[in-house]
Amino acid sequence: MTNAISVSGLVKTFGRTRALDGLDLTVGTGEVLGFLGPNGAGKSTTIRILLGLMRADSGKASLLGGDPWADATDLHRRLAYVPGDVTLWPTLSGGEVIDLLGRLRGGIDPQRRATLLERFELDPRKKGRAYSKGNRQKVALVAAFASDVELLILDEPTSGLDPLMEAVFRDSVAEEKARGRTVLLSSHILSEVEALCDRVSIIRAGRIVETGTLAELRHLTRTSVTAELAQTPDGLNGLPGVHDLSVVGNKVTCQVEPAHLDALFGRLTALGLRNVTAAPPTLEDLFMRHYRTAQPGGQRRNQVA
Amino acid sequence: MGTLTGTGILARHILRRDRLILPLWGFLSAVYPMSIANSTVALYPTADLLRPVAQEAMANPAQLATRGVVFDAGAGGMTAWTVGSSGAMLMGLVSMLLVIRHTRVDEESGRSELIGSGVVGRQAPPAAALGVVCSVNLLIGALMSVLLMGTGLPAAGSLALGLALAAAGCTFAAVGAVAAQVTESAVSARGLGVSVFIAFFLIRAVGDASGAHWLSWLSPLGWTLNVRPFAGERWWVAALLLAFIALLAVAAHMLSARRDLAAGLLPPRLGPAAAAPGLRSPLALAWRLHRGQVVAWTAGFAVAGLTLGGAVSGNLEGQLNSPQIMDMIARVGGEDARPADFFLNFLLSMLAWIVATSGMLSALRLRSEESAGRADLVLVTPVSRVRWALSHLVVALAGPALVLAALGVTAGLGYSLTSGDIGKLPQVLAGALAYLPAVWVMTGIAAALAGLLPRFAMAAWGIWVGFILIDVFGMLGQVNANLLEIIPFVHIPWVLLGQMSPAPLAVLTAVAAALTAAGVAGLRRRDLVA
Ligand SMILES: Nc1ncnc2c1ncn2[C@@H]1O[C@H](COP(=O)(O)OP(=O)(O)OP(=O)(O)O)[C@@H](O)[C@H]1O
Ligand SMILES: [Mg+2]
Repeated sequence: MTNAISVSGLVKTFGRTRALDGLDLTVGTGEVLGFLGPNGAGKSTTIRILLGLMRADSGKASLLGGDPWADATDLHRRLAYVPGDVTLWPTLSGGEVIDLLGRLRGGIDPQRRATLLERFELDPRKKGRAYSKGNRQKVALVAAFASDVELLILDEPTSGLDPLMEAVFRDSVAEEKARGRTVLLSSHILSEVEALCDRVSIIRAGRIVETGTLAELRHLTRTSVTAELAQTPDGLNGLPGVHDLSVVGNKVTCQVEPAHLDALFGRLTALGLRNVTAAPPTLEDLFMRHYRTAQPGGQRRNQVA
Repeated sequence: MGTLTGTGILARHILRRDRLILPLWGFLSAVYPMSIANSTVALYPTADLLRPVAQEAMANPAQLATRGVVFDAGAGGMTAWTVGSSGAMLMGLVSMLLVIRHTRVDEESGRSELIGSGVVGRQAPPAAALGVVCSVNLLIGALMSVLLMGTGLPAAGSLALGLALAAAGCTFAAVGAVAAQVTESAVSARGLGVSVFIAFFLIRAVGDASGAHWLSWLSPLGWTLNVRPFAGERWWVAALLLAFIALLAVAAHMLSARRDLAAGLLPPRLGPAAAAPGLRSPLALAWRLHRGQVVAWTAGFAVAGLTLGGAVSGNLEGQLNSPQIMDMIARVGGEDARPADFFLNFLLSMLAWIVATSGMLSALRLRSEESAGRADLVLVTPVSRVRWALSHLVVALAGPALVLAALGVTAGLGYSLTSGDIGKLPQVLAGALAYLPAVWVMTGIAAALAGLLPRFAMAAWGIWVGFILIDVFGMLGQVNANLLEIIPFVHIPWVLLGQMSPAPLAVLTAVAAALTAAGVAGLRRRDLVA
């Protein structure tokens, strides 16, 4: 499988801010990649470089087999972009914007345009200044989904959409995926990522700290264990792979790395288990950990494996 | 809940938000007449020294147009004459922008929706804004009067001048309040307000300069001057101003009761559900975005041209036979130059500065499209940066050409019709179009800044103001001749006086092209930034 996007060692600085600090990223053709990370991590910067709106200081980036900066005009025939905060021309109606952007990209399918307008419940006759935030997003979404392109680059596209429209958005992306299109989706909405993405890449401070399918990432995450024992436990301290241990009377809670579950349960059983719950890591746990910790992800991966 | 509930809360809020700008503006405005009075007395300690100054001013149409008629040649009268028009502009424009800021801008950014849902009545925001700004104007006027009396000028005149300028401030505050109600956005409210100001100013300028004084009476800026401080004050004219202010305030109040928050008085019309077949290129988009401005400017300058052309030729010939002014005309245009030709070309040279702003506005659109993120939407389609930039720049260069052509044709028409000599039209048109290269240079400066130094694009306005200042002081002979050379407008031949020199036009066009190209090249190379 060829890659629709491949980026390596990308660096971008703004004055003293190092927005991208050796970023590596690949998106396979036909894949939906979730692009996650805390505010200011560098998602939008990466996307703007891929769109040829900015130039990287160093590193390599290839997009649909071309150079995002040098071949921008040609590549743009084959992609569509939705920013997180769409601003429209105050005097143009939504329908006009959709048509204009579609025509600039080389034509728009009227059937598909009509379907999308209906699905997103968008009135195309309103002027740009009269749309609410969510409706402005919808204008850009309809324009993007209605155009016949290979790659969709979406930067927090659903900000401001109500839950109903969020569902419509998910259906539309799923449809695009079924037609073999590639999607790069930057998002803060975990359920959206979980529902749509084949793989996710997590960016922190300008570097990718984790990449993989959700199943793979879950595997890397600790399970939280709560146990009631027959006796006051000791000797649990210092067990490998056990974190955040707390012991209150006969009750133990801790976080365990998947590879060390066996050992922990061996010890607990020996102490006489009376009651136990082991919760699988939620997505939230997974991302919270990555968003918060300062440790680069590559190292942790090696520890665990 | 009354519709005015909460006006007091809002007024305090406005005072808090503007706690820096209000004192600063108030102080500058209040001190201005006093400092002019002081320097007038210092420069011309006796009436004998002042009289020739007044006489020369009365004979000079440019002075009459900018400052109006001298009603009294004493120290007080000359002070009032010097600050009357500019003071009204300072008080009026700032007041208007403040009122729009606290009504339309607030509403647009959604802030007053919060207010509207709370304990504040729907008519409270305009009432609070107008109340605060008018009160501040009265304070400024009072302070002005006290300071003027402090210089030893008569009390009645000092009061009249303070009152007249405060009334000018309140008048345009009220104009701003009405403009904020009838338009749908802050930009169009400001545009409407400033246009009204310019229209009133032009009406008075033409009236005073051409001797058709009834024209001046059609403009509140004429009334302000006709309060005649230090020249036998006419208090009833001040009363006329107050009545006009009250009328506008009531209009704004009633309009605000009748419309929805955030909507203009006219409900926003729906647009087409699909784009017209022609809307398929960056140029089509640029034209769509700029065409309202281009059409409005063209129409406005066509009206101005017709009025000015007619007025100049009709009333001026007899007015200008003072030896000083004939001297000056002869210096610029040779022995057989006609005063009317001189004056019309002078007006064209003034108006060209304003036409330049239309080109600059269009060129700076590159920057505002970029910072709003709308440029991104176009540039992620197969439209190259150069093509996108040129789409706006073509309009920025062609728009002013259209405006100048309209001005030239109508001014020539007005001039010819009144004088009966239709042969003048082509010459007046050429005289207007001669300013195009200078206007293009200003457009080029804006384009270069937008392309090369996007964060400083607004400095283009600083350059425009700077050039005007140099030009004004240059006319007064206070600027080094070399410095004067940097102003594009001083190189333009006065075609109506028979000057023909294509070389500067070619050079200026080349400079404009180079600046524009530099802007496009810069834009091609750099990151797009919000
Ligand atoms: N034009 C700019 N000038 C200066 N700094 C910038 C610019 N654009 C981005 N940055 C900085 O670069 C870093 C990365 O910003 P970026 O917008 O890529 O983050 P993000 O991951 O998209 O965040 P968010 O989730 O908030 O959208 C931030 O520290 C930001 O302040
Ligand atoms: Mg972002």
